Amino acid sequence: MTRTAPSAPAYRSSVGTARDGFVQILRSEWTKVRSVRSTVWCALAAIGLTVLVSLLTSASSTTDANSGPAFVDQFTFVHQRMDGDGTFVVHVASQRDSQEWAKAGIMIKENLTGGSPYAAVMVTPRHGVRMQAGFTTDVAGSGAGAPRWLMLTRSGATIAGYESADGTTWHHAGTVQLPGLPRTAELGMFVTSPNGLRVTKTSGGVSTSGYATVGTAAFDHVSVQPAVPQQLRGWTGQTVTDDGAPPTGGPATGTFTEADGAFTVTGTGDIAGYGIPSFQAGDDDIVANSLSGVQLGLLAVVALGVLAATAEYRTGMVRTTFAASPRRRRVLVAKGVVVGGVVFLAGLVASLVALFAAQPELRHNGFRPPAYPSPSLADPTVLRAVVGTALVLAVLAVFSLGVGLVLRRSARAIVLVIALVLVPQIVAAFVPSLSVQMWIDRLTPVAGLAIQHTRPRFDYAIGPWAGFAVLCAYAAAAMAAAMWLVRRRDA
Amino acid sequence: MDATIEARDLRKRYGRTVAVDRLSFTVAAGQVTGFVGPNGAGKSTTMRMVLGLDAPDGGTALVGGRPYAALRTPLRELGALLDAGAIHPSRRARDHLLWMAHSNGLPRSRVDTVLEMVGLGPAAGRRGGALSLGMRQRLGIAGALLGDPPVLMFDEPVNGLDPEGIHWMRGLLRRLAAEGRAVFVSSHLMGELEGSADHLIVIGRGRLIADTSVRELIAAVSGDQVMLRTVRRSEAMTVLANAGATVAATDRETVTVRGLPADRIAALLAERELPFTELAPHRASLEEAYMELTRDSVEFSAPAGSPR
Repeated sequence: MTRTAPSAPAYRSSVGTARDGFVQILRSEWTKVRSVRSTVWCALAAIGLTVLVSLLTSASSTTDANSGPAFVDQFTFVHQRMDGDGTFVVHVASQRDSQEWAKAGIMIKENLTGGSPYAAVMVTPRHGVRMQAGFTTDVAGSGAGAPRWLMLTRSGATIAGYESADGTTWHHAGTVQLPGLPRTAELGMFVTSPNGLRVTKTSGGVSTSGYATVGTAAFDHVSVQPAVPQQLRGWTGQTVTDDGAPPTGGPATGTFTEADGAFTVTGTGDIAGYGIPSFQAGDDDIVANSLSGVQLGLLAVVALGVLAATAEYRTGMVRTTFAASPRRRRVLVAKGVVVGGVVFLAGLVASLVALFAAQPELRHNGFRPPAYPSPSLADPTVLRAVVGTALVLAVLAVFSLGVGLVLRRSARAIVLVIALVLVPQIVAAFVPSLSVQMWIDRLTPVAGLAIQHTRPRFDYAIGPWAGFAVLCAYAAAAMAAAMWLVRRRDA
Repeated sequence: MDATIEARDLRKRYGRTVAVDRLSFTVAAGQVTGFVGPNGAGKSTTMRMVLGLDAPDGGTALVGGRPYAALRTPLRELGALLDAGAIHPSRRARDHLLWMAHSNGLPRSRVDTVLEMVGLGPAAGRRGGALSLGMRQRLGIAGALLGDPPVLMFDEPVNGLDPEGIHWMRGLLRRLAAEGRAVFVSSHLMGELEGSADHLIVIGRGRLIADTSVRELIAAVSGDQVMLRTVRRSEAMTVLANAGATVAATDRETVTVRGLPADRIAALLAERELPFTELAPHRASLEEAYMELTRDSVEFSAPAGSPR
């Protein structure tokens, strides 16, 4: 091999400034994303579809939650009169777990008419000790249930509740004011238990119905200080109802038995209003419903994420990319950051517009305070739902990007992601089993949408952050596979 | 060291097909090196291995003495045009160069500079799908020139160019080499490199067939050939053949003669009073040289369908 290289001087690049940092890769990937029309269209489509579907959903749902009573006051009351200030102590020996919000405790109530002012301290099977008053005030005490010592003290209009494990060491549970409480008021033990929820899943959808539950509790060590002459009258049992009629759907009246100072009381109903967690005026999650349009908007996001990867493979431009940036995994990370960031911003616009654009129609259709307080971004759960919706779309875009990088073909990747995200939902709708629906909501990428939930509901399968973590796991797995393959495969 | 491309014992197979087979060569600075072979000979595969895009099964490819993947800002070291079609149809020409520039932190002004250099200034705002094939080739060249690198590598840059474009490309290759850069250009048609290549690397079925300077090759192939123009072609051919020459008719009035010097031919023709209008040493075309070079090479009967 002979070589006749001319004696030219070695050429040096005239471009002095050059950098290979991550910021440069980010800028490069951002330039790619913003300079292609399909990206812009996908982002706009995601916003448009989300808002449109949210508006349609809100226009087609109505409620009469506000036309019902603003409170319920239905329970079995074993009571007597008490004059002036005093202290009332009982030991709740046991409580049956008839419903998570079943209540057993002691109460001061203005009179025996349903809806009259009251203050009470109580145990519940699943929500610990509560101090409640006036159908609006709920103060959580310790997490303990029966057996538990409870104490109420009256000092004028001030009622304080205490709880104790042993009847000796007392912990303050809460203090409320009952202005206008007459000097002579009713004092006693009460038991009640709200309706249970029966959920029936058919291939057409989900229907729910309530059924009455009966709460039972045993009380002993009952003592009233100071002992007053009226006490000689002894304890009287009565079923308090909202309107004087016997409670519907359950036993006509509660019962109580007394033996050697120990009482066993049964009761059905609830003592609650807006502000008391067990009150079931309206159980729709209007924030999640207002954001439900993302279930369609996410299609555009999937397309955006997949195309950001596959468009380069389709044209062969990926070779130019990896020739310009031989450290391929950095390019993938930058792509993920840019795609995720763009979709996050688009998603934030979509969720904010969808939430607030849907509100006038929802209010018009009955979703009004007090049953449905207007959502406010100052409420942390609402803020989580709105920002979380954007996060879910961003992570879904990164998942789609990862799948696109692994499969390198648009059609295959889009079909696979849609199959994972939407098809299980559609199939589940035809399966008459609620647990199938619940497991799909937990295990498929749509679990991420749990971050939109702003109140507990029977059909919510997974917690907001846990659901989001499931989606993140999908995205992480797809990107990890892409990172692993990109170093091993020829570009 | 000088900026060059060095391939050492490169090997690559796809499944059972050997695409590149123990290929070694060096591309020197300051000249245009043609990389020639039929479609499927392994030219594009070799270039992808030089760029670190495809991993060789054996051997190494170095750019300026280092593996391409080790370069920090590769666009400043080696500019490559692999596939002019590798641009997004909806991305504007300027944006295509802009993302490339950003990736290596090159100044934005380079984008306009290279667009002017390749004559794409007026089309900078056009989207990829609206560019003609010739414009895409120019855009690809512009991308290769972004970092003003000392080494350039173009895969079939003349493909699809009109005559004006081919002329422009030839001038550009010469100019880039004259500036002291190493210019490595592949083609499946030797004729395309006529007038631009200084050096040739010829491969077939992934193997090296020749690594030679164009001047030496032409001289060797031209050898003792003489071109004769005469109206009495067949008589002249008979006379010269009888005198021991190898003769071949190349046209109605022209004959290529081998084995006899020009003065002896003139004497023989004068003896028989055969008139001739032209008698000159023949300078072989590159295409002829190529045919000569590969005449005995079975490699060139390779079907065009082998993978690239």
